[in-house]
Amino acid sequence: MWKFIVRRLIITMPQIVVLSLFVFILASLMPGDALSGQIDPNISRDAIDEMRERLGMNDPWYIQYKDWVVGAVQGDFGDSFRFKMPVTDLIWGRIINTFWLSLVSVIFIYAIGLPLGIISGRYNDRLIDQVITGYTYLGFATPLFIFALVTLWVFGFHFGWFPTGGSVAPGLEPGSMEYILSKLHHLLLPGLSIALIGVVGTVQYLRSEIIDTKQKDFILLARAKGAPESRVYNRHIFRNSVLPIAAFFGYEITMLISGSVFVERIYSYPGMGNLFIESILLRDYSVVTALVLLFGLAAIIGALLSDIILSIVDPRIRIK
Amino acid sequence: MALLKVDDLKIHFPIRGGILNRKIDDVRAVDGVSFEVKQGETYGLVGESGSGKTTTGKAIMGLNNITSGDIYFEGTHLNAKKGKKVDVRRDVQMIFQDPYSSLNPRKRVLDIIAEPFRNYEKMTKKEEMFKVQELLEKVGLSSDSVYKYPHEFSGGQRQRIGVARAIALKPKLIIADEPVSALDVSVQAQVLNFLQDIQKDLNLTILFIAHDLGVIKHMCNRIGIMYRGRFVEEGLRDDIFNDPQHIYTKRLVAAIPDVDPRRREEHQSFRAQVKEEYEQSFNDYFDENGLAHSLKPVTDTHKVALPERG
Amino acid sequence: MSNKNNAQEVEETVDFDKFDKSPSGFKIFWKELLKDKLALFSLIFLVLITAFVFGISWILDQDEIVTVDLFAIYEPPSSEFWLGTDYGGRDIFGQLIIGTRNSLLIGILVTVMSGFIGIVFGVVAGYFGGHIDNVMMRIVDFFMVLPNLMIIIVFVAIVPKYSVWSFSLVMTAFLWMGIARLIRSRALQEKELDYVQASRTLGSSHTKIIFTQVLPNITSLIVVTMTLNLAANIGLESGLSFLGFGFPEDTPSLGTLLGYATNPQTLEFRWWIWVPAAVLILILMLAVRNVGEALKRAADARQRRA
Repeated sequence: MWKFIVRRLIITMPQIVVLSLFVFILASLMPGDALSGQIDPNISRDAIDEMRERLGMNDPWYIQYKDWVVGAVQGDFGDSFRFKMPVTDLIWGRIINTFWLSLVSVIFIYAIGLPLGIISGRYNDRLIDQVITGYTYLGFATPLFIFALVTLWVFGFHFGWFPTGGSVAPGLEPGSMEYILSKLHHLLLPGLSIALIGVVGTVQYLRSEIIDTKQKDFILLARAKGAPESRVYNRHIFRNSVLPIAAFFGYEITMLISGSVFVERIYSYPGMGNLFIESILLRDYSVVTALVLLFGLAAIIGALLSDIILSIVDPRIRIK
Repeated sequence: MALLKVDDLKIHFPIRGGILNRKIDDVRAVDGVSFEVKQGETYGLVGESGSGKTTTGKAIMGLNNITSGDIYFEGTHLNAKKGKKVDVRRDVQMIFQDPYSSLNPRKRVLDIIAEPFRNYEKMTKKEEMFKVQELLEKVGLSSDSVYKYPHEFSGGQRQRIGVARAIALKPKLIIADEPVSALDVSVQAQVLNFLQDIQKDLNLTILFIAHDLGVIKHMCNRIGIMYRGRFVEEGLRDDIFNDPQHIYTKRLVAAIPDVDPRRREEHQSFRAQVKEEYEQSFNDYFDENGLAHSLKPVTDTHKVALPERG
Repeated sequence: MSNKNNAQEVEETVDFDKFDKSPSGFKIFWKELLKDKLALFSLIFLVLITAFVFGISWILDQDEIVTVDLFAIYEPPSSEFWLGTDYGGRDIFGQLIIGTRNSLLIGILVTVMSGFIGIVFGVVAGYFGGHIDNVMMRIVDFFMVLPNLMIIIVFVAIVPKYSVWSFSLVMTAFLWMGIARLIRSRALQEKELDYVQASRTLGSSHTKIIFTQVLPNITSLIVVTMTLNLAANIGLESGLSFLGFGFPEDTPSLGTLLGYATNPQTLEFRWWIWVPAAVLILILMLAVRNVGEALKRAADARQRRA
C-alpha cells in the first residue's frame, strides 16, 4: 500500500508542474499586465519601459515563470488592480466562505446520499426504490444552476424562509452565537441545492453496487449461515459497497468547485466562485490567474486523496 | 532446405513493478527454441499451457516482438533488424484457437474471407465472390453462406471459415494454434480430418500447436515437446510415442487415456510408476532452476534434453 | 464446372449492390426504441421541436428579435408578445425559439467535435497500447484534472474576435477526455481479440484494422456516449451562457434567458422571462437522456445476444 501511495504522490508532482505551466501560459495570454492598472497615464513610455525592465517583464519566459512560481509558493500573486490590495488577502476571506459552503454541501451529500442509496438498493424495485430512482432520473438531467435558481425563487423569495444573498446578516458581531447561526442560515439553501443535485451520482452508484453485492456468493453464504438480515447489511454489504463512497470525496471537489461558481453567483455568496466571475468581468486578471491555479491544485489534491483513500479501502486497485 | 527454420528463439516479456514502474524481471515465455519444419510435413508443437508454444507460433507470424534469435522462411531472414521488412504473410497464415473471437462479429463471411484478397490482390467484386464461394465449398460450407454473420454458425463451422480465410492466399505454411481445443470433442475429429484433406489438396506444411497429445498423434509426423519455454524432446511420431526418453515426455505419454477398459488397472499402475519416476528423477532431467537442458541427439531423428554427461 | 460458368452464375443470382454495405446495429436500436415508449416519445418530441425551432427561426428575423424596443420593456405575456418581453423590450418567445435552436446547434457541434477527437485519441491509445497509450493517457489525466469550467470561462473571456465558432472550439478543447477514456478502455479489450490479430496476419494495416475492424465493433458505445454527452453539453452551454460566458451578445441561447434571472426583480416578479427557458432546457435534457438510455439498453441487449 505504501508503494502505491508513494507512486501516486510521484505522479502528482509533474501534474502540479504542468498545471502551473498551463496557468502561467494562460496568464500570459491575458491582456495587460501587473502595471496596466496601476500606472498613472501621465508617466512617459520610457518610464513605463524602465519599470517593466525592473519588474523583469522583459526577461525570457522561463525566468518569468520561475519568478512567478517562487512568488506563488510564498503566497504572492501580485496585487488586484481593481481592489488595490494583494491578491492573497483578497482571496483568503473568500476561501473560508467557500470552504464552509463546500463543507455543508458535502455533509448534506453524505447525509442524503447514503440512506437513499442504501434504501434504494436494499428494497430495489419496490415503490420506495422507484420513487428514489425517479428522483435521481430527474436530478441527473437538471442543471445545477436551474435548480439553484428555482430553490432561490421558491424558498428565498416566495416563502422568504431563507436569505437571498450574502454570507451573514450585517451588523452581527463575529463569534457570537447569532453570527454563527446567521452564517448557517445563509449556507443552508445553497448547500442543499448543491447537495440535492450532486448526490445523484452517489445514490445511483450505491444502488447498483448494493444490488450487485446482494447476489454475490458470500452474501448468499452469510444468509445461509443464518445471519440476520440487518447483520448481512451492516457487516457484509456495507463494507463492500459503502466504504468506496468515502473515496469519492476527493473527486467531489471538482464537482463542488464548478458547483460553487454557479451557486455562489446565484445566491450572491461571497466565495471564490463568485470572486472568479467578478474578477473576469472586471478584467482583474491577477486574481483570475491565482484562482485558476488554486482551483486546479484543489482538484489535483482531491484526486490524490480519493486514490489514496480508495487504495486503503479497496486493495484491488493497488494491483495496477 | 527447411521451409521454416527457428534458431535459438527467445521471447521475454518484461515484468514491471516498483515505485517507478521499471522493468524488474522477465517472463521468459520462450527461452532458446530451435527447430525446423520441412516442406509438406506436419510439425507438432506440444506443451502445457504457458509453455510458450503459442508465443512461438505468434512470433513466427510477427505478432510478438522477438527478444533474440532468428527465424528463416525459405531461407529469408524474417526478423532482420536492418533492411526492408520481408512480408511473408502471403505464404504463412494462421488458424486461431478461438473460433468465436477470431471472426469479427460485425463482418459477413464474405468480408471475412475476402480480407486477404482485398489486401493482396486486385480483384473485381465478381472474382472475389467467386473465389470466396469456391473456398467455402472447399471447407465444406454451403456457398450461400457468404452473406451470413459469424454468429449464425456453430463452433466447428466457424473454425472452417477460419481455415478458408487462412488458405485463401494459398500459403505454403499454416500455423494452426490449437485449432480444435475450443471445439466439442465430437466436432474435433471432423475438423482434424478435414484439415488433413486440405493439406493433401494444397500441399500445405502445417505447424500444429496443441496441448492434446491424442490430437498431435493423429496429425503430426514430427513433434517437439515444450516445457517452460524450452524443448525437452523432439523426434518423429514413433520416437516420441514409442520411445520417449525424457521423463517429462514419458509422463505426458503415460497420461494419454486408454480406451480399453480391460487394461484400466494396468494402465493406472503404469501411470503411478511413471509419476514416481518423475518425482525421483526430476533433478536429473532439469537444471537447478527447473528448466530443461539443451537438446542432445539420440538418433538421427530424435533429440532429447539431457544433462551434459548424457 | 468451369470457373467462368460459375462466375456467371454468381453474377446472375446475386445482386451485389444490395448487399454492399454491412447492415448495422441500427435496426436493433430501432426495434428496441419502439418497445420503449418513453424513449420513443422523447425521440418524436426531439424531432418535432428541432423541426419546429429550425423552421420558425428560418421565418423569424433574428435581428428584429434582438433589436431593443424601449416602448415595450418588461411586458408581461400578451397576445402581441406571447411570453412577454425582457429589459430591452425584446420578445421572449422569439428569443426562446432562436435560443433553443442555438443551444441545440452548439450542443450538437461540440458533441460531434469533441466526440471525434476523443474517439480518435482513445482508439489509437487503446489499440497501440504500451508506451503510446501511457503517454496519451497521461495527457488525458492532465486535462481531466483541470478545473475545466473555469478554464473555459477564462478562454471565453480572453479570446479575441469571439464568435460561436471560437466558443465551440474552446468547449471542445476541454470536453473530449471522457469519451477518449471510455473508447480507449474498450479498444484495449477489443484489440486482444483474435480477430484483430487475424487481420494482421491477413496483411491489413493498423489504420485499416482500426477503422474497418475495431471501430465498427464499438459503434454502439460511441452512439450511446455521444447521445448522453449531447445532453450534458446542452446543459453546460446553457450554464455558461447563464453566467454570461456563452454565446456572444447578439446570439441568444436558452442560458441567456436564464441569465436575466440573476436580477432578483426578474427572478421574483417576471417569471415569464426565465421559467419557459428553464422548463425547455429540462425537457430537452430529459428527452435526449431518455433516447440515450434506451440506446444503452439496446446496446447491452445486443451484446447479450451476440
